[in-house]
Amino acid sequence: MPSGPLLFQSIVLGLLLGGLYALLAAGLTLYFGIMRVVMIAHSAFLILAAYLAWWSHDRFGLDPLVSMVVTVPLFFGAGVLLQRGLLARLRPLTLTMMSVLLTFAIALIIEGLLGYAFTGTQRRIRLGYGTAGFEVFGARIAVVKLIAFGLAALALAALYVLMKRTTFGWALRATIQHRDAARLVGIDTERVAGYGFGLGLATAAIGGTALALDSTIYPSLHWHWIGPLMAIIVVGGLGSVPGAAAAAMVLGLLQSLLQIPMGATWAQTVFYLALFATLAVRPQGFFGGRLAQRF
Amino acid sequence: MPSVSSRWLPAGAAVLLAAAILAFPSIAPNPFILSSGVIVLNYAVLATSWNFVGGFTGYISLGHGALAGLGGYGTALLVTRAGLPSFVALGLATLAVAALAVPIGMAALRVRGASFVIVSIALVLILLLVFQSWQSVTGGSRGLVVPRPFPGMLRPEHHRVFFFLFGALLGVALLTWWLIDRSRFGLGLKAIREDEDKAESLGTPTFTYKLVVFVVSAAFTALAGGLYALWFGDLDPVFQFSVLTGSYMVLMALLGGVRNLYGPVLGAIVVGSALEYFKVEFGGTPLHLVTTGLLLGLVVMFMPDGVIPALGNLVRRDQGSIREVSAADLRDRRLRAEAK
Repeated sequence: MPSGPLLFQSIVLGLLLGGLYALLAAGLTLYFGIMRVVMIAHSAFLILAAYLAWWSHDRFGLDPLVSMVVTVPLFFGAGVLLQRGLLARLRPLTLTMMSVLLTFAIALIIEGLLGYAFTGTQRRIRLGYGTAGFEVFGARIAVVKLIAFGLAALALAALYVLMKRTTFGWALRATIQHRDAARLVGIDTERVAGYGFGLGLATAAIGGTALALDSTIYPSLHWHWIGPLMAIIVVGGLGSVPGAAAAAMVLGLLQSLLQIPMGATWAQTVFYLALFATLAVRPQGFFGGRLAQRF
Repeated sequence: MPSVSSRWLPAGAAVLLAAAILAFPSIAPNPFILSSGVIVLNYAVLATSWNFVGGFTGYISLGHGALAGLGGYGTALLVTRAGLPSFVALGLATLAVAALAVPIGMAALRVRGASFVIVSIALVLILLLVFQSWQSVTGGSRGLVVPRPFPGMLRPEHHRVFFFLFGALLGVALLTWWLIDRSRFGLGLKAIREDEDKAESLGTPTFTYKLVVFVVSAAFTALAGGLYALWFGDLDPVFQFSVLTGSYMVLMALLGGVRNLYGPVLGAIVVGSALEYFKVEFGGTPLHLVTTGLLLGLVVMFMPDGVIPALGNLVRRDQGSIREVSAADLRDRRLRAEAK
């Protein structure tokens, strides 16, 4: 039995990690809700944002948080372009399958270009406050982890307000729920879908910055993220943001706790076990509605 | 009524392919080109094996690389740990992977579309984790050396033998695909591809059909992977359980055309040769990722039906004969007609 402080520390770290997972899974859920697209390149954009944060720090000495001023609008634009220019042009009947391949191709291109531009060397931002931390009940919490969690929580809250309280949010949710009906009441669903994609990709920009704060990054890192993230959205039920967030917190916590007895590598298998268990017991996920059943 | 050309074309292509496989080792200028030929043929077998699932049912799996890796590691472990003769090990490993494909398929095929792709990618990632971490059995990242099946054989001769072995395997895979294509079973599978709900309501046992064809596909993939292990002689989890291998298979099959018997072979020849060329040209730089990505993106965007149908349409501009038309084609045509 591990000691109390160790256990407590794992729980805290698990919750902090879960927050980041939740934000990223929310982006993936948005894409899926809007177009039934599984966006494999989501985590590649995450790593790209992390690299941009690292690069701006390394090159201009900027705090990684400042890089978001550029990356978030940039990624929003890229998301809109991606949806309008590429995904919307695929044939509707084979959209789900083909969009997976297309976004997979984008992920490969990003990984290759990152490797070409910055080499495969592992990078890490050295921050003045990088080693700072404080103790709560004997558990040591790094400040950067807290900032990362704060970022994720803030972004999620903003997303929630945007979706629930603004006209655009209503239009977006209407588009997700029933596209034709949304069009009938006068919503320009094409444009809303594009902006929805931009929003999803913006979560990757914020998540990437948060990731860059306290992680070592390298070009092929995105494969380590996309697996867990996809497991999360399936377990949560494809298309359900609260489901994805709940699954992210639970699985992030489990991963962190299992690291104590099993080590970091084996603990990652918890995502895949959860994925297979979900498919065996409840293929539509634990929070998914009628949408998830058919995809 | 199939026209004369469509009846004789496949047969002619078969003769041409067989002749090319028989002749290639004699005209290959050096052992390096011959070894590239082996790799391309390996890709051709893999892409054709993938096409059992991808082409017939429309379920796109990005995880077939994992099945090839399992075949390779299974063969290698049976040779090194159990001391079995190489080709007995290959057979047993194939059977084992086929057996393992049953529960995998049962989990993965319960869901459609997006979830299926997610499961297939997860399969690769989880196996990579396991094979890298489980060092005591698999050798982990240090790799696993597979003893050669023909000790004392010189390297060029070794390449030549394996070139023919892969060629024979390709022949068997193509023949199996052709037989399924013409059978009632194949019709059921294609019905699943076009509209799974309608197929089911018409009495097609969709789940059983999907599972059977998945297991067949897994068995051929494992055979190719095992044969590769015996030929190459050195396995590393990073390469055996790479999402990239699976994506190559998809790219090759799509590029050639998934509805066509020879589509994946053609795609494998094009993409496989290109990959080998890039390896020489760009060496270790990650640009091969970019080129693979660009190529895959272009194929998905502009010719999702592949080169063979695209060329075929150029030649014979819709004669109005009855040919295999997918629901997607019909819908496109209707939309185009409405737009006019």
